[in-house]
Amino acid sequence: MTNGPALRLLRTDPSPAPTDDGATPELQTLLRDARAGDVRAFAALVDRYYARALRFALHMLGDRQDAEEAVQDSFVRLHRAFGTYREHDAFDPWFFRILANRCRTASARARRHASVVEYGEVPEAMDHATAQRHDTALAWREEIGRALRALPAEQREAFLMRHVEALSYEDMATATGAGVSALKMRVKRACDTLRHRLIDHDGD
Amino acid sequence: MTGTDEMHDDTGRDDAAIDRIAAELRVLPLVRPEARARVLVALAAERERAPRAAGVASDARRRARVALAGSLLVGLAAAGLLLYVTQRGSPAATPTAAARTMSTPAATLASTSTAGAVAVQLVLRAPAAARVAVVGDFTGWDQDRVPMTRDPASGLWSATVRVVPGRHVYAFVADDSVWMRDPRAPVANDADFGRPGSVLLVGRP
Repeated sequence: MTNGPALRLLRTDPSPAPTDDGATPELQTLLRDARAGDVRAFAALVDRYYARALRFALHMLGDRQDAEEAVQDSFVRLHRAFGTYREHDAFDPWFFRILANRCRTASARARRHASVVEYGEVPEAMDHATAQRHDTALAWREEIGRALRALPAEQREAFLMRHVEALSYEDMATATGAGVSALKMRVKRACDTLRHRLIDHDGD
Repeated sequence: MTGTDEMHDDTGRDDAAIDRIAAELRVLPLVRPEARARVLVALAAERERAPRAAGVASDARRRARVALAGSLLVGLAAAGLLLYVTQRGSPAATPTAAARTMSTPAATLASTSTAGAVAVQLVLRAPAAARVAVVGDFTGWDQDRVPMTRDPASGLWSATVRVVPGRHVYAFVADDSVWMRDPRAPVANDADFGRPGSVLLVGRP
């Protein structure tokens, strides 16, 4: 994958609420049609989940190119595995299991390069204006990013699923294969570490 | 799945602090249109490789492709992607899909070795592109198999493919990311997953 000329980015519709567990009639219809082979429904599913999947992958991998590849691979595998998806299963944990696996595989590979996680900023080829924009909000975001990436991968994954993707522990267990008790411990440790690093030493 | 109230059962104390951190992390990233488009292209390639893998209702798929192709094209155009490469072609310089059929047996760019294959030259005007490739059912939708060559004088990109007589669907890919149909060829209504596609009809030599 190459870095082409800078293109304008689009902010996708954030309407799918993170807590939507797939029970809405709209999503159920999409899933049923996509599973039945309706290409348009699958494309709509991509639209619905892309930004959220990219957010998780960016936080897990810390590199946009790696994250985009992991998300793309996840959708391909989702398409491949749709035959095994049962209609009464919650979709989010099923999808996040695929996505988390792809992120683990990606992070296991040698990192091509270190990079700062982008939180909605336009990565226009490291332009000077962006580099100079060290306002407080950005510094805070970057500090969060550094703290997050310093967490062990399992804790980072659990924290993101719980506090960013708003999955229940039962859904997290489905997504990760770990037990609920272990997941609670990972989340607690992640919270303790983040709080210690970002809040207790924040000076406010 | 639970609401935020239940999310605090594990944090012990000072939930507001974790909320503050999580709120920053919940900001959705901006999505690059070409990255999303690549997902659809990868899915289409997946379907080419394993047309039965998802396993159902090919009729529904076929019907859906038509609508999807239109909607995605509109979306890409809105994103300005299709403006990325200039598609103005002079009639004299862009013979394209109804392309002139060459009788030379020397064209071996495509790996099609089927007896009776015909060499066809495809031409595109895309002066802004650094790289252009031909993709199609005859390349397995592989972007690396048929790179086009740019004529510095005219700015035209060209490539010769060998295809068996019949109907083929193809497209151009500029700079590894921008898919476009051949502006001079009929639109392929069955372009998969919204890929811009054109129809190439090849008669028997």
